[in-house]
Amino acid sequence: MRKRSATRRLTLLTMLLAMSILLHMIEPALPIPVPGVKLGLANILGLITLYLFGIKEMMTVNVMRVLMASLLRGILFGTGFWLSMSGMLLSSLITILLFKQNKFTKIGISIASSALHGIGQIVALIFINNTIMMVYWLPMLWFSSIPTGYITGTLSVQVLKRLKVTERNRV
Amino acid sequence: MNRYDKGLVIFILISSLLMYTTMEWFVRYTTSDQIVAVVYSYDKEVLRIDLNVDKVYEVEGTLGIVFIEVENKRIRVEKETSPYHLCSIQGWVEYANIPIVCLPNHIVIIIENGSVDPNDPDVTS
Repeated sequence: MRKRSATRRLTLLTMLLAMSILLHMIEPALPIPVPGVKLGLANILGLITLYLFGIKEMMTVNVMRVLMASLLRGILFGTGFWLSMSGMLLSSLITILLFKQNKFTKIGISIASSALHGIGQIVALIFINNTIMMVYWLPMLWFSSIPTGYITGTLSVQVLKRLKVTERNRV
Repeated sequence: MNRYDKGLVIFILISSLLMYTTMEWFVRYTTSDQIVAVVYSYDKEVLRIDLNVDKVYEVEGTLGIVFIEVENKRIRVEKETSPYHLCSIQGWVEYANIPIVCLPNHIVIIIENGSVDPNDPDVTS
């Protein structure tokens, strides 16, 4: 029984990772008129992993997602990779902190995660381009985190609701 | 959304507005009449453009030629080869400290206060 559960867990995590890589890769093709602003669809899978499994698994999925998507796109250790990695690390950090506090809803955590993702990207840009002026993008990314975080948070809530129904039906 | 979420949204709204107005005020206040656009490729200055002269400049980017247009003391990336054309979508920039970043081409354009030295061989006006 224990062995079967471990296999199921591994399969689920692998599926979540595969879906997050897919979303990470197709997202830049989505037309958003504001430069630098993205929906952060892959964060939905991070949030789902956090609520289904826990902090360690969410970090594994997020780090593996950035590494593997960058490898598949041929930009490993390139500019895009460092932007994704720094954004992901900061957003994961705030997600873990707020998740442990247990005061915010999934939507609130998603908005905070989206906001910190923007800061992470700006910090990486400042180091890559060696100029503090990149900070000018911060208000726009900071503000856009409200609608993008709300959308990804709401999608995560809906997916989690449906996943729980599936789990109940299986038992 | 609970009250903590709402508080977070209000905090982000107010802080982004404050950040924007502070930066906008700083940029407008520090921009003088004598402005030049400095073009960097891989962190190295490759071109210094006089914004008083309307002209189209060409800079070699990683993915191809980046066309930079100057008109009425404003600057923009007119055309470039990149997956999503984000820097040409950004449009015209006329104030100092607002950078145009073409990440795939490794080109950064920054408007600075100053003048173009016509004796400098690396400088175009």
